[in-house]
Amino acid sequence: MTRHIRNGINAGIIFGIVTIFLFMIGFTTTISDLLGQLLRNGSSIAVMGFTPGIFDLLVFLFFIGMWAGISGAKKTPDKIDTWGTVLLSSGIAGLLHGILVGGLALLVGSLLQAGVTMTVYFAQLLPDAIHLFLIGLNATSAGSFYVIFFLITGLIGGVVARTIRYGSWRQNLTAWSKNKWQAFTAWPQYQRIRHNKLNLFVVYGLLILIVFLLPQVLGQYWNYTVGTVGIYVLLGLGLNIVVGLAGMLDLGYVAFFAIGAYTVALLTAPAPHHLMWNFWVTVPIGILLAAFAGIVLGIPVLRLRGDYLAIVTLGFGQIIAVLLHSDELTAFTGGPRGVAAVGGPSLFGISLGTPEGFVYLILLAVILVIFVTIRLRNSRVGRAWEAIREDETVARAMGINTWSHKLLAFAIGASFAGLGGVIFASRNQFTGPEDYNLMVSFNVLASVIVGGMGSIPGVIGGAFTLKGLPEVLRELENYRVLAFGALLVVMMLIRPEGLLPTSRRKMEIKELHDPDGKEAGETPGGKS
Amino acid sequence: MPMLEVSDVHTYYGNIHALNGISISVEKGEIVTLIGGNGAGKTTTLRSIVGLLKPRQGHIVLDGEDLTQYKTHEIVNKGVAMVPEGRGIFARLTVTENLDMGAYSRKDQKGIQQDLDRVYTIFPRLKERRTQVGGTLSGGEQQMLAIGRALMTHPRLMLLDEPSMGLAPLLVESIFETIRSINKEGTTVLLVEQNALMALSIADRGYVVQTGRIVLQDKAAALRKNEMVRKAYLGEE
Repeated sequence: MTRHIRNGINAGIIFGIVTIFLFMIGFTTTISDLLGQLLRNGSSIAVMGFTPGIFDLLVFLFFIGMWAGISGAKKTPDKIDTWGTVLLSSGIAGLLHGILVGGLALLVGSLLQAGVTMTVYFAQLLPDAIHLFLIGLNATSAGSFYVIFFLITGLIGGVVARTIRYGSWRQNLTAWSKNKWQAFTAWPQYQRIRHNKLNLFVVYGLLILIVFLLPQVLGQYWNYTVGTVGIYVLLGLGLNIVVGLAGMLDLGYVAFFAIGAYTVALLTAPAPHHLMWNFWVTVPIGILLAAFAGIVLGIPVLRLRGDYLAIVTLGFGQIIAVLLHSDELTAFTGGPRGVAAVGGPSLFGISLGTPEGFVYLILLAVILVIFVTIRLRNSRVGRAWEAIREDETVARAMGINTWSHKLLAFAIGASFAGLGGVIFASRNQFTGPEDYNLMVSFNVLASVIVGGMGSIPGVIGGAFTLKGLPEVLRELENYRVLAFGALLVVMMLIRPEGLLPTSRRKMEIKELHDPDGKEAGETPGGKS
Repeated sequence: MPMLEVSDVHTYYGNIHALNGISISVEKGEIVTLIGGNGAGKTTTLRSIVGLLKPRQGHIVLDGEDLTQYKTHEIVNKGVAMVPEGRGIFARLTVTENLDMGAYSRKDQKGIQQDLDRVYTIFPRLKERRTQVGGTLSGGEQQMLAIGRALMTHPRLMLLDEPSMGLAPLLVESIFETIRSINKEGTTVLLVEQNALMALSIADRGYVVQTGRIVLQDKAAALRKNEMVRKAYLGEE
């Protein structure tokens, strides 16, 4: 019983705080506008006696209130969740939620009536937003309204939770889908296709064909977005070698990206050097310079591990950023204004500098980099990296030259970034210091971790999530970063091993967290 | 000429003078043990031999060749294998992959396969668990894996650092039994132990290390009878 009450109180407080927070940052106004657009195409006809904006807000709050109820009525370990206890927990959650939000309504309502300008303290607390939040009532009635509203929605949530949890439809559905899937895989045609190499080639061939036809179909905007994602895939695959395979946390990765980009920019642009070289000549130079920079950074930091390595590489990234911003170097790097009119690729006189052309170029680069990564990973070098990642001292005791292999990881990781930078600058036809801030390093690192460290499909999935998803979420405008951040947190909680982890990491997380693992009677492994 | 000759080695951790002129020698085919309390310098001696630490003074000679000029991976390739303290297995790699890692610097596929079979014969337990990741093995199995991995380098000289650490008494006995049989098959062993009784029971000779110096050296049987050793390290009155 006390457990049910405690669950209810917890959920009520959390949801109260969340709802208050959403209001304070002005999210309530945005979501009501957005729902208005979605549900009614923004028409301003009153719905069920409510002003449209208020109706939309209440729809949103209805779901939040219900969620609070569901969350309050979560399963207790002893499994004595009767209708009574479920409604008790969700009722308490709803009531507390209502009291907190109602209290806020009372507070801001009274302040507004007293003529206090709250925007001084909270930029989003505009009078309009507050009026919307008070749903057209005065402070006291709005406050009591919210208490009752959230109590009711919380109880509805409780009913929903109980129905979902104890209804038999759930087992029925899983059993049904499992049956269907088994029937499908047992189907002889499927078996034949699955086990015939030729058919697999046909399927892959079709996939590749689709990928190569896609840029023709996509518009300019989507081609640009896909291209950006592709460049992040290149960066992610490079960082994956340093972080995912060799296990060195590099936070200054953007530096190598910048070096690739500036190489092509300075060599092909009319200003500041007027060299106007051919794009293709600059590609290997950009890659080599980035790899060289990787070694230059690598040598002094080879002795560092973990956190210290992260900080030094972070500093290196910043040094490059500062140099690019520098006025002193304007004659050499273009300074804060950057370099314009960067040359694009052409083949036999045909310019590939179109959005579609770049998508193809990026695709080719990605395929090349994936090929190199796979070959390296399955070689002696890959095994050495793996050993260094696991335990550097032991790796040395196995006869692995950790010095050269760490440098190699830095150089190869950097060269992939250099390639990405070359394409990036050429595609934008411009490059400036603003493109190479710390956020690039963090985004790439996040895409490696979100996707699943060490896994190639994971890096690709991660890049799509990190660079593609924000484009899809563009509808949410200012809040897309917020929604995006929340999504990342949720994702890491649900899938700590990443979206598409390597089979090894999946296995390891499963085995290490499986309490029923086949453990012998001895003391489980000490420090290792 | 002894196989391994460590003479007057001084090793520092920063300013801390950890080894204050250690001299030991190991003959081919012997089991030699270093015993001593915590912080005496036993592990530091092993790490100096294998090049994980660089001595500031002194020489470490293996079959006439001075090892102090080489890096760790080169020393390992000269036939010195190390079973590190706390086992140091690769927790995320499977048993087989751990063993493969031991054969990293070898290219003779046939020899590698022979050694793998040998390890699986010595430790049938590892064969049963060959697809399991190292981190999920029990402590005893991890120790077996660490020893097996060292065998995969096909060493002339095997350095073992505290193989008894954290293991149940019965397991310790079986591990030491295995060390003895590996030695009989031709691998020279230098063993560092806090469990002096066990170490002296399988060793030919022993050294007692205290605060970075060798304070006593003798045949293992004689050390077991020594008054000072019995009081300080065997817990006998």
